[in-house]
Amino acid sequence: NSSSQMSSVPLQLLFYVNGIYLIFYFLATLAMVLYKRQAFSYPEDFLSVDLTLLVITAIAEVLRLYLGIRGNLTEEEGLLGLSLVMTVGSVFLAVYFLVWQTYVLKIDVILNTILLLFYGMESILKISAIAAFIR
Amino acid sequence: GEHAVMCKVPVLISVSPPKVAKLCVCDLLVAQCDVNCCCDPDCSAADFSLFTTCSVPVVTGDSHLCSQKAAIYSLDVEANPPERVFKLIDQVNPSIFCIHATNYEQALTFSSPEIPTSENFDQLLKQFGSATFSAEPESWDLNTDDQSLSDANETYRYQYGVPIQTVDAFLRLPSPVVSSWCSDENPAGFLVNQATKCIRSVSVEKCDDIQAVSMLFYTNSSILAKLYEFVFQVNISVQSIVVQSLNGMRTLLNDRDVLRLPMILDELCINIVLGVSYHITYTDAGEIIEAAAAFVLGAISKEALSIEQSFEISFTQVNTTPVPLSGNPGYVVGLPVRAGFRPQGYPFPVEMIQLTILQSTSNQDCLAAQGARAPVLFGYNMISGCKLRITAAMKCQPLTQALLDLLKGQSFPEYVASFGNSQAQDVLDWVPITHLRISEQRIYNTFQSSCQIPVSLEIEVKWTKYGSLVNPQARIVNVTATITTTTLKELPSGTERTIPITSSVVFTDVSSPAEPGYKAWPTINAKLPFDFFFPFV
Repeated sequence: NSSSQMSSVPLQLLFYVNGIYLIFYFLATLAMVLYKRQAFSYPEDFLSVDLTLLVITAIAEVLRLYLGIRGNLTEEEGLLGLSLVMTVGSVFLAVYFLVWQTYVLKIDVILNTILLLFYGMESILKISAIAAFIR
Repeated sequence: GEHAVMCKVPVLISVSPPKVAKLCVCDLLVAQCDVNCCCDPDCSAADFSLFTTCSVPVVTGDSHLCSQKAAIYSLDVEANPPERVFKLIDQVNPSIFCIHATNYEQALTFSSPEIPTSENFDQLLKQFGSATFSAEPESWDLNTDDQSLSDANETYRYQYGVPIQTVDAFLRLPSPVVSSWCSDENPAGFLVNQATKCIRSVSVEKCDDIQAVSMLFYTNSSILAKLYEFVFQVNISVQSIVVQSLNGMRTLLNDRDVLRLPMILDELCINIVLGVSYHITYTDAGEIIEAAAAFVLGAISKEALSIEQSFEISFTQVNTTPVPLSGNPGYVVGLPVRAGFRPQGYPFPVEMIQLTILQSTSNQDCLAAQGARAPVLFGYNMISGCKLRITAAMKCQPLTQALLDLLKGQSFPEYVASFGNSQAQDVLDWVPITHLRISEQRIYNTFQSSCQIPVSLEIEVKWTKYGSLVNPQARIVNVTATITTTTLKELPSGTERTIPITSSVVFTDVSSPAEPGYKAWPTINAKLPFDFFFPFV
């Protein structure tokens, strides 16, 4: 049984794609914030809140993905569990950008919906991977 | 900074659509149908049938929104009669940058500015007090270079009509506004000579309460020498104080340095300001350098409920003496005739006085006349006189001299100005007065030693119309003063005789009438061309 690989390949794939998507998401959201600042009335305090949360999202995502990849590859359920817990925080942030941002553009809706989809699929695969690792 | 995260309550506000169905920008007339305004609720179907087009075809909310309601108005010309079509549709913005939702309630509306209070004033000043928000083109900075300094000089000088500024507000010239009651908010305009009269309600009890009847009210604030500059201020000095008693008699006070404030004395309120006359001296650069006020103070009794105040302001340029003109250039009817005399040694008339004649008084005794004289006004023929009582004791020579002084006045001019605006240095603009002396008697007595006393002075002013036919100017061409004398017969002692003394001014128009001129009859100008007989001539 030691030759059977328990690491989830779809999960790894998802992590990989999520990583690429994260870069795109971060740049796009940043560009949108700058566009909104220029096109609409965007007071400084609202702007600073949104930018701060965006930076936190990026950092949290990197950490989460790192933990997830490492946990998946080393088949350690602890790291994967931690990554799952961090996903909850990431979901909250994605919902913020989807619903509670100062200006929610259609592109914001699209980006964050895709991100939430990623989170959803990853969460399911993580749970099954953890279950596989524990067994 | 740090306050925002926890305090902000995230509330998703789906952007409430403005009631596009009710919005109509072309509805300008109230309760009346505007032409070609399809969204006007005051229009009926009959009105719509007369429209040609819809001036406002679409009413939408903010176009940035992803989905919004739009009201579409159009005219269906196919139908008979044409009718208006109103559709409320959902307009979708296809762009991916459209606003799906906002959490900032003032996002899509114009923000009303904050009202400054004592709490937020400093913050607002820091935000809006910088140069970018400054509405005034001039800067308050005093050390600027020459270019902007001369610009500052340009904008800071007083110009005609600009209200004269004082330290707190404007120089006030109370005047009647709608009714005859005084309004204290009338500013005095620079170079605008004004004279106003108005009524103010007063009472003896509130004597020292009413500000506008006290001298202090009119002299306490200083005038700014230049517009908007508080550095140079001109204090209003008291030029003279005239006190008017209850029966109307006026006396000039010698001491004008003491500020007389209203006070109650013997049931009267004295030192009430009845009139102020401001005299402002200015330079040709538009600066005020001096201000003086002449006061007329009066008293009111217990029964008085209101007083009439009169105010006046006049402007003089520095280093000039104001000479009122009687016309520009021709004389204006009703203005005084200007005259002068030539002091010895000067080539042109320097002293300018008025031509005056004897003024009749109620007391018709010539010798008791106080020397009241009236100025001769151009165009007004005047006659005046008095009665002379001659007693036996009067000597001829002193009587003659006294009568000449009476008729001619203390200083009878030698020259009269030809035009209303003749200057002293233009010699040709002054007409010498011709003196004639005629005697009443036709037949001369053999003994001329009998006394001849002047009994009448007649000034005849001949004037003509000068200049263009459509705007002729009056010009004096000849002035003749004729003294008529009569023989004073010896009187038996104890008797007296009364003879009338008259003086008159007559204006005669000696302008030649316009002569009709006719154009020359047209002639046939028939001439053969120069080289008609070419080969032969």
